[in-house]
Amino acid sequence: MLNEVIKNIRQVTAAHIIVVDDGSRDPLYVDQDFKSVNLLRHYVNLGQGAALATGIQYALQLGADMVVTFDADGQHDPKDIAAITEPVKSDQADIVFGSRFMGTKNQVPVLKRILIAMARTFHWLLTGYRMTDAHNGLRAMNRKAATVIRITENRMAHATEILFEIKRHKLRWKEVPVNIVYTPYSQKKGQSPANSIRIFFDVVLHKLFR
Amino acid sequence: MTAIQIVLITGVLFILVYFIQRLQKAVISVLFMVLLSGLAVLFILQPELTNTIAHKIGVGRGADLVFYISILLFWYFILRLYARIRKLEETVTTLIRQEAIKNAGTHD
Repeated sequence: MLNEVIKNIRQVTAAHIIVVDDGSRDPLYVDQDFKSVNLLRHYVNLGQGAALATGIQYALQLGADMVVTFDADGQHDPKDIAAITEPVKSDQADIVFGSRFMGTKNQVPVLKRILIAMARTFHWLLTGYRMTDAHNGLRAMNRKAATVIRITENRMAHATEILFEIKRHKLRWKEVPVNIVYTPYSQKKGQSPANSIRIFFDVVLHKLFR
Repeated sequence: MTAIQIVLITGVLFILVYFIQRLQKAVISVLFMVLLSGLAVLFILQPELTNTIAHKIGVGRGADLVFYISILLFWYFILRLYARIRKLEETVTTLIRQEAIKNAGTHD
């Protein structure tokens, strides 16, 4: 799966790719044929937020001008990378989010849609931002945003934390329609609806302990 | 003194000694524990005192009042513990992240 995703990304860009293995039981393996691919491995599983922070930190160390985050389960379409990086390249935004709700083509499962609508209201109340899809894994940010945004929430609450950081540092953000492919694999790897309760408490406790 | 008073006071004193030993440098925590233990011993020796206080603030029985306050205290300690866990988690994350970046495998 992973190597397929890398292959698909390689078809649209020659950019440096950083893969973060978040403590998988069977360590990830990247085909030797790929050029400019780094594999980082967490010895134990920390969560998606921690994996993103590790990858972003390493990209900055390598001197990246721009960072794109891309879920490795195959749910994103590499063709969307061009659209999502464009506002960063033309300096219209510091960070760009992919949104599965701005396009019309997507088949988002009903329960998922309800939960995301609730999360959206929650975010709006907390930050005042009307974002349609903060929990989209496809994001692009310039070096400034990647440097100032500190992700300390190891698990899924990082999506909300990123919004807090945008507000704190007054970053310019934008949303761009993207495709999401719900494959059986990505559905299995994705968040179960019950997990949203845990995410909610992580966010509340994050606010409480700041 | 009744048997239950001896058991309870012994327990309180053991916990107090343990705390003072463990937290020698945290003066405020030790003071807090000494105060709490003192109160506990006082109420164990004079159970009627809790009844008097309870009646004054609208609780039926002294034992109930002690129970309610204990719940609040437990909540406080759980939150403190949770904060500690989050701190630990942060440290672990930093360590694992540094290790991951140090051992970055490259295909160039």
